[in-house]
Amino acid sequence: MTIEKSQDKKKKKLYAQDIKDRLISIFIGIFALLWIFPIAWTLWSSFRPYTEIMKNGVLSPPQELGLFNYEEAISRMELPTYFLNSALITIPAVFLTLLFGSLMAFVVTRYSFKFNVALLLLFTAGNLLPAQLVFIPVFKMYLALGDLVGDRRFLYDNHWGVVLIHVAFQMGFATFVLSSYMKTIPKEISESAMVDGANVFTHFFRVMLPLLRPPLASLAVLMTTWIYNDFFWALVLMSTDKKRPITSALGRLQGEFTTDYNLLAAGAMIAVIPTLIVFFVMRKQFVSGLTLGSTKG
Amino acid sequence: MTTETTAPSTPRRRRFFSKSDKITLGFFIGVPTFLHVALVWFPALATMYLSFTYWTGIDISKIQWAGLANYENIFFNTPIFWDAMRVNTVWLLWFFFIATPLGILLAYQIDREIRGHKFYQSAYYLPVVLSLAVTGIIWNFLLRPDGFVNGLLGLPTSQAISFFGDDRYNIWVIMIMASWRHIGYIMLLYLAGLKAVDAALREAATIDGATEWQTFRKVVFPAMRPVNIIVLVITIIESLRAFDMVYIIYGSSGGLPILGVLVFNNIAGEGASMKGAAYAVILFLLTIVPIIAYLRQQFREDVK
Amino acid sequence: MLNNISNREMDRRLILKGAAAGGLGIAGATMLAGCAPGDAASAGPVAFGARTVDENPTKQLQALVAAYTAKTGNEVTYNATESNAFQNNLSQYLQGTPDDCFQWMAGFRMQFFAAQGLLVDVSDVWSEIGSQYNESYKIASTGLDGKQYFVPQSWYPWGLHFRKSMMAEVGLNPDDIYNWDDFMGALEELKAKGLIGFIGVDKGGWEAMGTFDILNARINGYQFHVDLLAGREKWTDDRVKEVFRHWEMLLPYMNTNVLDLEWDGGRDMLLARQGGFFMMGSWFGADFKSVSDADYEDLWVIPFPEINPDHARDTIDAPIDGFCVAANGANNAGGKDLIKFAGDMEGVQAMLDTGVPMTSANNGQDTSTYDAFQTQQLAVMNEAKYITQFLDRDTRPDFAGPVVGPALQGWFKDPSSTNAMLESLQSQWDALPPLA
Repeated sequence: MTIEKSQDKKKKKLYAQDIKDRLISIFIGIFALLWIFPIAWTLWSSFRPYTEIMKNGVLSPPQELGLFNYEEAISRMELPTYFLNSALITIPAVFLTLLFGSLMAFVVTRYSFKFNVALLLLFTAGNLLPAQLVFIPVFKMYLALGDLVGDRRFLYDNHWGVVLIHVAFQMGFATFVLSSYMKTIPKEISESAMVDGANVFTHFFRVMLPLLRPPLASLAVLMTTWIYNDFFWALVLMSTDKKRPITSALGRLQGEFTTDYNLLAAGAMIAVIPTLIVFFVMRKQFVSGLTLGSTKG
Repeated sequence: MTTETTAPSTPRRRRFFSKSDKITLGFFIGVPTFLHVALVWFPALATMYLSFTYWTGIDISKIQWAGLANYENIFFNTPIFWDAMRVNTVWLLWFFFIATPLGILLAYQIDREIRGHKFYQSAYYLPVVLSLAVTGIIWNFLLRPDGFVNGLLGLPTSQAISFFGDDRYNIWVIMIMASWRHIGYIMLLYLAGLKAVDAALREAATIDGATEWQTFRKVVFPAMRPVNIIVLVITIIESLRAFDMVYIIYGSSGGLPILGVLVFNNIAGEGASMKGAAYAVILFLLTIVPIIAYLRQQFREDVK
Repeated sequence: MLNNISNREMDRRLILKGAAAGGLGIAGATMLAGCAPGDAASAGPVAFGARTVDENPTKQLQALVAAYTAKTGNEVTYNATESNAFQNNLSQYLQGTPDDCFQWMAGFRMQFFAAQGLLVDVSDVWSEIGSQYNESYKIASTGLDGKQYFVPQSWYPWGLHFRKSMMAEVGLNPDDIYNWDDFMGALEELKAKGLIGFIGVDKGGWEAMGTFDILNARINGYQFHVDLLAGREKWTDDRVKEVFRHWEMLLPYMNTNVLDLEWDGGRDMLLARQGGFFMMGSWFGADFKSVSDADYEDLWVIPFPEINPDHARDTIDAPIDGFCVAANGANNAGGKDLIKFAGDMEGVQAMLDTGVPMTSANNGQDTSTYDAFQTQQLAVMNEAKYITQFLDRDTRPDFAGPVVGPALQGWFKDPSSTNAMLESLQSQWDALPPLA
């Protein structure tokens, strides 16, 4: 009897919980729709001509729908050039950040030497500094280095210069995440590698790196988003607009004299595509790879 | 930190490194460290020095020592600095009491795999993926004088509600825009943390008759301590360091003064002076306090 | 250092003379162009930096560059940057790897960079094409050291813009608006018709500076205005308070979302017939033309009304845009060669041939070829005895943008704060670092 009763109670409770969950789900769902609305509205507007909206108001029923804004945006933004620039900056920067980050994390967690903690501290704190704090000296250094090697465009006005500053800044975050993850990897794996006489190089590239795949995947998504979306460094460290990434090409649509907002919307939607692809392709690995704080470790 | 001499029995460390291993290790650590110090810490220190000088940022030979003049100027002669402090404080409070808790609760619910959680996760994370430039364009669409909201209210441009200009609205508008991203960001970090919390722990609590809220407060939240600290630090830093969102909407004008834009406005552009460097240092000092707190927590165990 | 600003007063007779000598200018230009090809051929490929990505000016500049290449065979790389980004980054741009020549503005904004050694002395270009410009333009192109660093492209007056048809509908004759009272009366009538009388915009932080300039000049005169901007007069002066008192009188006739609209928002209000008068630079006429010829023909401009009879309507903001050669460019000679072409009537003609309305600084643009709106711009300009550039071109850059801009925006939020704002402006001026 008592068992039956308690089971009954449990059932009731589960039932109540179920209703509550549904309510919560609906509530969160309504907010989720609100969350997407701004993007959806922009997308909707990007299919309409601006002149029509100017004439009939934003809420007017559409008379003309089509991809014409996209066609114009693609031709005015010179997409291939600017997408290529974005790739030239983002891909090496993400790659180097992850490489350096995992190297640092590897050494500080797997080998014990005096400066482990100090280094980790330095990197993490550095990642949190405001970018504007370093920008004038970095600019001056890039120019000075350029003059030294006889080519002003050695780092300044060169995508490598932008790559390096991104790497220098983001490395801290990567090191931090990777080192917390590495702490969760049993030490025995490293030990057996070392006992087998693997040198440091093999130990890292053959043993550790494959194990780091999940956090590397999540970091890759985050880093791609951050670096791809940056416009500050590309603005101040480059002088040739044709070398700047896609985020600055949006400015070309915002012409002072004819701001066609719907054209701008189309441009914005185009610019978002790469990060969206990266996110949706890696969505599964994304959250699972970011075991921050590692309570289990 | 244990050393080899005090712990000779630990087999997990090799007693010596071959020369090539040492070189490899040196490279592994040296290259990233050099890059980081050269491009982050050295320039940061240089800017700190420059904040005590007069300079236009152009000819290095023309740097003049100014003592505390730039700081005096900011603290005593520049009312916009205090306006910016006020906005940044509101920003911080809003994030701390509203945006961040919402992100955490959201993560908690999604982690429980409620109906539609996959869709919700993507929906809330979507704004985080967007660049600030795109975010600015999107919100401008809704709120500009001839935008969606004013259209909905049926107001012509001349009578449109001044969402970005009027002090009664602008800060809240920016707060909502910022939260739009921040909530998704916090949700994601917290989700990652929640994956690490033992699910059995939570189940046990529910079976013990604890309510949802009690389970969260008494079991999950304390177990998440390390993530909580990270979230806290990110909240503080994001609200103090805020720049892009406001820059995209207002450019470098003072429409909504915040510290990040004041730094940029005074250090870049035609009117560059080292007053901007002084702003940057103030911003740095404000952020370093939470950074230190964070690092102390993070590395306490390592230091032991 | 700032004394030079006060010397930059243009004599209107010089301009008139320039306009009258139009035909001669063209002849002179062709002659000069005839002697140049020798060194032009050796100038090599040139990089040109445009501070705009907008349709109309881009059309002009592309035409200019194409004409230059066609004439000299020199390849030109055209590097366009969106104007806000360009301005925010100018200091870094000029120090780093700038284009050989670039588009910029006259006034203190040019003199500052010239004094920093970032611009190339183009006095020799002036000795070749100088005859096509009257003296006032040469003064505006001159740096603090007395050498020229700038070649003018075009000018435009700041004035009250409106649509003729709108005024007619309301039953107003804008020709009758001469002084402040007339103007207030007109605003009142517009308001009675449910219209915005005076379109206010200042989201960009610079738009309202034009209104400040003209109010100050009308109330306190040219000399006080330039002295104030040069720091020889105090912002806390009662005379400056008077400026804001007048401005306050305009507020009831203005839209309330001043800080939400950038200058183009104002233009669009005028296009949509929602507002009566718009205080702005006349350059945006080209945009009206892009919309339709009828809209362009409907657009008109008059000088800002007289307030103090002592000063009548004797001052005007008429900024000059043009070109500079960057000292750190790879090919200084090429840069000079290109801006010489741009300043020469031949280059000017290439820009004019695009059909985009432009009031060139070159004497060779015959005023008889002006359309009605341009003729009116010239008339507005000619009524003034003193020419100023614009607040952010006439005072220190570390004061105009970071200090005056936000101060005026703050004033719009709380117009009762005049005294506090002016005190703060003065104390911030006093706290500026010494000029290096």
